[in-house]
Amino acid sequence: MDIDDMKQRWEEADRKLEASLRLSTRLLRESALSKAARATSRLSWLMLPEILLNLGLVVWLGSFIADHFAQARFAIPALALDLGAIALLIAQGHQWFALRGIDYGAPVVAIQKELGRLRLQELRVFKWVMVTAPLAWTPLLIVAIKGLLGLDAYVLFSGAWLAANVAFGVAVLLLAVWVSRRYADRMGRSPGIQRLMRNLSGYSLSAAEGFLGSLARFEEEVPA
Amino acid sequence: MTRRPSQERFLTLLDEHKKILYKVAGSYCRNPEDRRDLEQEIVAQLWRSFDRYDESYKFSTWMYRIALNVAISFSRSETRRSRHTVPAGESILEIADVRETAETDAGLQILRRLIAQLDELDRALILLYLDGNRYDTIAEILGISETNVGTKIGRIKARLRRDAATL
Repeated sequence: MDIDDMKQRWEEADRKLEASLRLSTRLLRESALSKAARATSRLSWLMLPEILLNLGLVVWLGSFIADHFAQARFAIPALALDLGAIALLIAQGHQWFALRGIDYGAPVVAIQKELGRLRLQELRVFKWVMVTAPLAWTPLLIVAIKGLLGLDAYVLFSGAWLAANVAFGVAVLLLAVWVSRRYADRMGRSPGIQRLMRNLSGYSLSAAEGFLGSLARFEEEVPA
Repeated sequence: MTRRPSQERFLTLLDEHKKILYKVAGSYCRNPEDRRDLEQEIVAQLWRSFDRYDESYKFSTWMYRIALNVAISFSRSETRRSRHTVPAGESILEIADVRETAETDAGLQILRRLIAQLDELDRALILLYLDGNRYDTIAEILGISETNVGTKIGRIKARLRRDAATL
């Protein structure tokens, strides 16, 4: 196959296409453009409830810390949770602004690199949330019971019970990672579950790193 | 002062450059439903970005950039979401006579199959080349140097030749 000969045939087909192709401006006017305008950066809007929820949590934890500042057994777990929630909020806020600021009309490699970096950051945040979630469960229980019900978890539950909770959380996480690595492609037809499984197994993280690597190689000047 | 995007101006420009939409969507999706979804996503992104379009630059360059950026992200998306903005069964692009397209040229069909095997970036590069864009335009669209464009096109052509020989 001679590619330059194929290029001529491609251009010939292109000329025929020009005469044959119709754009339905009626359909675009009636629905597509108005809906597209409303759906401005859908992904960034999908993140908004998560950001607001986290912001609410940061505010609530801040107020809890202020109320229990003198009681270290409540203030320390609340402070640990608050620091984690603030770190997550910063990461989410950065993603939100970065996604909204992306100009798709910029050169392809630059935009794909930016999108790739954001995806990688999202996956790294997800990984850290998953790793710290079992450890966050016990302080969350202590703070939530005190803050919402006014009860003292240290009195209600024994130290062994709280330690067992942490151990159980870690075991569940390890099991989830193992299941997702082994059965990622077989479990669940829902795209959301598939995505969760790929994220848990680390497959998505490797894919995102691989794509950034291929972009770097693509940009690299190679001798002819 | 920022100019408010004009829908009529946008539709006129889109109509003049509809082949870009058709060919980019066709190069990244062989499945007709995915292709239709991708066409809609590209148009939606073009419309959303239209107020940033600087008319001192060629519309085709800007449109290729957006179409390729959306198509690459679409084909890399792990969860394909159907975001129909037009009624099911209808398409924003229609072919009046399918005999008048590359679909009936066996050689071009083979070429398209071979292009589909390339990674997303090489696919973009060869599509721009086959569409008759000059190296400096391709470099501007992709954001790599002109020398790099020339070298890569040479390599992709050699690869396509090799792949075709094994068919």
